[in-house]
Amino acid sequence: MSSPAYQFRSRMPRVAEAAVERARLTVVPRRRVRAARVPFVTLVSLVLLGGVVGLLLFNTSMQQASFAATSLEQQAATLTARQQTLQMELDVLRDPQRVARQAQRMGMVTAPTPAFLDLATGQVLGEAVPATRDQALRLDPKAPPMPASLNPPPVYVDPPTTAGSSGGSGASSGREGRGNGRNGSTSQKTQQPHQNRR
Amino acid sequence: MRPTSPSSRSGRRAPRPAGRGRTGPRGSLRGSPHLRLRVGFIVIAMVLSVFGARLVQLQGIDPNSYAAMAAADGMVEVELPAERGDILDRNGEPLAGSVDGRMVVADPYMTRDQAPALAKFLSRKLDVDYFTTLRRLRTPDSRFQYIARRVPSTLATDVVTAAADAGFKGIGMRRDPIRDYPAGDVAANVIGFMGTDEPLGGLERTFDAQLAGKDGSARYEIGGGNRIPLGDSTIVRAVDGVDLQTTLDQDLQWYAQRVLRQTVEDSRGDSGIAIVMDTRTGEILALADHPTFDANAPLESPEADLGSRAMSDVYEPGSVGKVLTAAGLIDAGKVTPRTRLTVPGRLSRQDRSIKDWFPHDLIRLTLAGVIAKSSNIGTVLAADKFERGQFRSYLTRFGLGQRTDIGVRGETQGILPDPSVWTSQTQDRIAFGQSLSVNAVQMAAAVNTLANDGVRVAPSLIRGTATTDDGQTVGTDTATTRRVVSVKAARGTARMMERVVDPEAGVAPRAAVPGYRVAGKTGTAQRVGSECRCYDGTFTVSFAGFAPADDPRFTIYVVVQNPRNGGGGGSVAGPAFSKIMSYTLRRYAVPPTGTRPSRLPVTW
Repeated sequence: MSSPAYQFRSRMPRVAEAAVERARLTVVPRRRVRAARVPFVTLVSLVLLGGVVGLLLFNTSMQQASFAATSLEQQAATLTARQQTLQMELDVLRDPQRVARQAQRMGMVTAPTPAFLDLATGQVLGEAVPATRDQALRLDPKAPPMPASLNPPPVYVDPPTTAGSSGGSGASSGREGRGNGRNGSTSQKTQQPHQNRR
Repeated sequence: MRPTSPSSRSGRRAPRPAGRGRTGPRGSLRGSPHLRLRVGFIVIAMVLSVFGARLVQLQGIDPNSYAAMAAADGMVEVELPAERGDILDRNGEPLAGSVDGRMVVADPYMTRDQAPALAKFLSRKLDVDYFTTLRRLRTPDSRFQYIARRVPSTLATDVVTAAADAGFKGIGMRRDPIRDYPAGDVAANVIGFMGTDEPLGGLERTFDAQLAGKDGSARYEIGGGNRIPLGDSTIVRAVDGVDLQTTLDQDLQWYAQRVLRQTVEDSRGDSGIAIVMDTRTGEILALADHPTFDANAPLESPEADLGSRAMSDVYEPGSVGKVLTAAGLIDAGKVTPRTRLTVPGRLSRQDRSIKDWFPHDLIRLTLAGVIAKSSNIGTVLAADKFERGQFRSYLTRFGLGQRTDIGVRGETQGILPDPSVWTSQTQDRIAFGQSLSVNAVQMAAAVNTLANDGVRVAPSLIRGTATTDDGQTVGTDTATTRRVVSVKAARGTARMMERVVDPEAGVAPRAAVPGYRVAGKTGTAQRVGSECRCYDGTFTVSFAGFAPADDPRFTIYVVVQNPRNGGGGGSVAGPAFSKIMSYTLRRYAVPPTGTRPSRLPVTW
């Protein structure tokens, strides 16, 4: 505080001391212009909060979408599998062999000759021949012939002579029936001794 | 003054450190700038060296294992399976299709305790054997056992879910695509079949590159079973296989196979072939083989039946070859259908004598009669008019002795004797279809040439184009045509062939289709046995023909090997031809042409 002003004051005449006192320059304290703090802080906090909340929501919704995607993918896979299984079933139902078998069971027979009806003239083109049951196509393979060792020719025992001639003919017709009941290769074999005796 | 002392002491003490801080020598505490810099540099260098060493360790020494460890952590890799292409018929019906399937697998470590109950459950639901399943569920020291393979995916899912609901543990499923052949044995010989993982025959194998496609893969991070939205992911999309469309007609193929089976069985033959060909385009509508097999269960049939005999069997065509001889002769201008020939009962040629199938004395036949009655001697006499080398060049242009290259594996090229061994005796026998060997498709294409006004259309089995595993491009788009004989020669031959099915003049009235003009030719050829490599007394009977004769649409060829009922081409193969032709004409709605049939004289 031992400033030159003090010395100066002491040297100065004490005239108009009040005026001097008044005119003396003093350091004006720097004036701080304070911007309103509250709106800015509010804005920043809001942006921050909004960002965080937005990010959170965004993330949640993405996660949500990911769940949905996973479940939809699973659903799509299931539906694809279902569709394929149904398609497979449909193909089995459409199999020409199955359709033909069904048709034959209903008594249908493939027409032996093609014939067309001309709608313009009402004329039949081609020879329309009625289809009969014995023209039916054989849909399944023949059973393989039985090996001879498993299919021995039947043994015939002549009925007692007391039965007379009527008994003999009855037995022979019975044999024939039995022979025809077996598959092709054996029927020839069994008929042979029968014919020989006849 | 006591009470004031603490305040005064504190007043004195408080400014002291501040005063010392402000007034003390600045550099003494932090040292000289040089020293500081050096120490700083050393510290930074040390830290960086540590980082560098670590970097070398991670990247230089064993980067892969670290990368794998990083990847394994939450990263999953999923295979994106490519779907195998279907094999379709000409109408888009699937002959072979792929279905998404699953294999049901078990972890015996977890299933051992509940094995009997679980085996019972699985055998009931999945149609698997109880005892096998039980053994697998109890397999020691194993964590993976197949329970059922190629289960439709819906069924597998249902069963696995039901098992989980019932409290069973250790049952899971994996992907296992199913190759399904909806029509079973229809066209099985041509299409082939699939083994466990790879195609084992037929078109499936030949065109595997096209059908198989390319599997893709996806890698992504998961958390709790769900994909992490912004996590790393790489996707290589699967490239599905491309469908293969054939020219076959599923229903016609089925019908041809059934008729053929009935024919072969009734004649007690060894095997049979039936081919239906579109005359104009050369497309093969049916290529039937008997015996055949169920493509869904190929292992149940003998291995010899798994290929296509129509392509791989060589045989001598017999009298069907006479029509090629006749067409060549007419084209060369040597004969006409009305050329008169005097046919003796036996013809002595060099070392051998040639007979006809029917005993006769000297008869007078026209060329049409020779074809209609199928006289060997008459054909040989007519073929004498060929100039040297001319006959062979006709047969070559008909396509004999060359592969048809329709895209079926194991095709034989047949045997057409080389010019160096082509003697007059050879020519005599070749004139009536012996001493040369063909495959059935070659022969069908040759006869089809006559139906198509003398222009040979290369047969094809694939629609569009496709590349075989040999790198060959086949298909309808690459089919070529070439003129073999003149229109006049082809039509003349067709008119002669019409006489074959004539009830009075010909030998094969049972091959006729009522209401239609049918041209055809029987064949009953001596057959070379597999053991003795000689004619062993068995026969190859066949019938080749086309209809309607004056505007042909379809060529059909039926062959039966070694019939044991004593029948010939007309009685065995003829009726089969008639049935298949009737069906084909009706199916493609070809009305009769309504013109008068050929009345060429057969005798003079």
